Amino acid sequence: MSHDNQHAEVTFFWNGSCIKARQGDSVAAALWRAGITTLARSRKLHRPLGYSGSYPTGVLARVNGRPNVRLDQVRAQEGLVVETQNTWPSPRFDLLKLAQLLPAKAVYGGFEHGAWMPTSGLGYRLAERAMANLAGVARPADVSVQPAAVAGERLSVDCLVVGGGPAGIAEANRRVQAGETVALVTRGDRLARFADSFGASLEPLSPQVRLFAGMELFGVYREGALMVAAPHDNTRGAVVFDPKAVVLATGRRSIPPLVKGNQLPGVLDAHSALQLAAVHGVMPGRRVAVVGTGAEDAIAARLASLGVEVVHKGRVEELKEIKGRSRVAAIRAAAEIRCDAVVHGGPWRVDPSLGFQATGEGMFQVQAHPLPETMSVVGAAALGDERISAHRHLHPDTLICPCMDVTAGELYCHIDDGETDPEVLKRLTSCGMGTCQGFPCWEHMLAMLAARIGVEPEAFARPTHRPPRRSITVAQAAGLAGLVEPDR
Amino acid sequence: MSKPLPKRASVVIIGGGVQGLSVAFNLVEQGQRDILVLDAGYWQGGASGRNGTLIRPGFASVAWTELFVLTVNEWQTWSKRLGENVMFTRRGYSVVSEAEKSEAMLLEGLKVQKSLGVNSWMLSRREIDELLPAINKSRVRAVQHQPDGGVAPHHAVMKGLLAFCQRNGVDVRYRTAITGLERTGSRVSAVLVGDHRIEADCVVSCAGPNNPDIAAMANVPLNGFGMRIEAMALEPTRPLIKPAIALIDSLAYFHQTSRGEVVGGTEVPERPRMSLKVDVPVMANMAKVYLEMFPQLGEVRILRHWAGQLHASSDYAPLLGEHPDLKDFWFSAGWSYGFAGAPAAGKLLAEAIAKGRIDHRMKPFALDRFEKTGPIVEGGIVLA
Repeated sequence: MSHDNQHAEVTFFWNGSCIKARQGDSVAAALWRAGITTLARSRKLHRPLGYSGSYPTGVLARVNGRPNVRLDQVRAQEGLVVETQNTWPSPRFDLLKLAQLLPAKAVYGGFEHGAWMPTSGLGYRLAERAMANLAGVARPADVSVQPAAVAGERLSVDCLVVGGGPAGIAEANRRVQAGETVALVTRGDRLARFADSFGASLEPLSPQVRLFAGMELFGVYREGALMVAAPHDNTRGAVVFDPKAVVLATGRRSIPPLVKGNQLPGVLDAHSALQLAAVHGVMPGRRVAVVGTGAEDAIAARLASLGVEVVHKGRVEELKEIKGRSRVAAIRAAAEIRCDAVVHGGPWRVDPSLGFQATGEGMFQVQAHPLPETMSVVGAAALGDERISAHRHLHPDTLICPCMDVTAGELYCHIDDGETDPEVLKRLTSCGMGTCQGFPCWEHMLAMLAARIGVEPEAFARPTHRPPRRSITVAQAAGLAGLVEPDR
Repeated sequence: MSKPLPKRASVVIIGGGVQGLSVAFNLVEQGQRDILVLDAGYWQGGASGRNGTLIRPGFASVAWTELFVLTVNEWQTWSKRLGENVMFTRRGYSVVSEAEKSEAMLLEGLKVQKSLGVNSWMLSRREIDELLPAINKSRVRAVQHQPDGGVAPHHAVMKGLLAFCQRNGVDVRYRTAITGLERTGSRVSAVLVGDHRIEADCVVSCAGPNNPDIAAMANVPLNGFGMRIEAMALEPTRPLIKPAIALIDSLAYFHQTSRGEVVGGTEVPERPRMSLKVDVPVMANMAKVYLEMFPQLGEVRILRHWAGQLHASSDYAPLLGEHPDLKDFWFSAGWSYGFAGAPAAGKLLAEAIAKGRIDHRMKPFALDRFEKTGPIVEGGIVLA
């Protein structure tokens, strides 16, 4: 890429306003640079949500007439039309924001559980219509956007490496040297985004490894015999891998602090904050607080070296509240500290989804089992989970599941009533049933449930993780028809 | 944490899904007391929480149509009788044909439906435009529309049923698997949960895919086997599809829920198995159907894809009634349209158990029909 190109500017539209972006910016980064941090609204109370690195819901918007596009995965391009969803009557003038004034209890269980719903007749049909418009969040794609199936491909390899961090790269290189055919799938448009933004030196990936970048490996089928990935760019086809061996190098993610205000725009995981600062040259905030489970010093030091003013660093369990209305304004730890961003580095946990999909079995409760011999785990993903500190009495407004807008208060209603089965809590509240696919929401739900009734979180069976983790469009999936024979 | 299991119950219902709870609810209405419901899994963990929630009165055979006319009438009264909003919405049910043969079958079915008083007709092109504006009309050959059909969200239905049962003294236990059945002479006499014995005047098996296992515990045969069936949900969007839809040629059914997800399923020919795992072909085929029928769905992402299990009888029709070889052992089994049919099944079984009256709408579905009258022929179901 030439020097000119790096600094070339593009202009796109955000709710009708012109936004200037640098070539190579994601839309989310460009908006952050422009000071726009609220990118979406939660579905029930229309709380402000933004780029967090933890919840895709915060970055879903309408792009060129297509609903629910992830703004952290789409490049800013000239003339792109980006609009906030879940607004009425228009993105610029949104009356639905008034929902924030409703008492939280009015929407416990979702609009559809409201005691105010008529039970039958025209009244019900009208209420249902209104509810569907509120809960539907996004308008369907414009009629002019009519895609054809995007043809997928099927690929046999000796080894499939999932994850493009240092551990994945090292494993892929080692296997190639041993003479295996290797494919590597990574979510990032580049390899090792986190390590790179942390300033680590990187081993280059062998050119013999077939690299699938910008793709999410979303599904493990037939105990790992079939692994399916879809590119974020939904004009490209999905890929079905038949690997002889699978290496999970998926790393760990930082779980947002379990305190009130944890969903506010300005709360970022360390990965995203470092990406913003190191790759896009955007400050995560003017005054940044860093919390963690041991990595906070290193993260704070790296952010400071990138020009970020760090006003606080401390243990995550000392954090009591994140304050602010539409963006982080302060935190309450030992003292109250004014800041406009909170970066969390820990507790670190492994997204259990792929392993669960590979091994989950059971008639009445699906439970994960040890991985088959063909699958192995390397890197940080092999380090296991850190404990989530959860107070027994969380503030009822603490958001547990931003996608479905479920708060601690809503869950407490059922838990305090004696309902302690996570599967039932999930069905009563829809907690964890949104686009983030239960990670990190179920980590939060299990931690707060365990703290509330005084047991260990491991005492509970996890709700079932399933493919396809919201990464494949209907048109991409249709392109897989005929690629895999039904199992007769 | 919960009180010990009773030693005796007048009726033990095996399975706390929509079938079991519907039987319990109807028995309560018939004045029955001492009802115990046992379920090996969790609330909504079986097919009751995994199905497509589609409801319609009209099929192609007299037996199915009579049963489902009753069930739609029952659905309309449930919110009132349960005192809970089950959110049954008569938003209509459209059966779409894409080929000459299935169109002929829909026209034949229409005659049966008319003779039984079902409100249904074939849509004109203009009506298709009005009712299904987003459908790809070039693929549609004919549409049979049933305005009294619709959907009821399973979370609301199951919540309503459970709340009613608990309010009315029905003892409902989840995560409580039965381990055996006892017979005394020619009747079933007790249910075992591990070492615990529960004496029962009557046992009703509503165990979905596990019905054959329950029958085996009492050493009696039962037609059919358990198998998985898959469904998937798309991420929510604002309303695009109004009625519930069945595509008779593509073997697909779907609707858009009141919270915006398009939920539906399709069939692929695979070896039947008991599993809650999903596979690629159903996802790909269902996506293909969506894309072809509602092109605007092409850009929508798949939110979740899951499998549930049902008990497939040889003719995919339910098995309703007392077991011919064992007295006081009742079944509501063999269901593939069980969510829709639960209100009728509950009513008919409760009447039979409490009053000894076998309704004529239940008779065709007797457990021994395969030996006596032969299987029920029904061309209007989306199963193969």
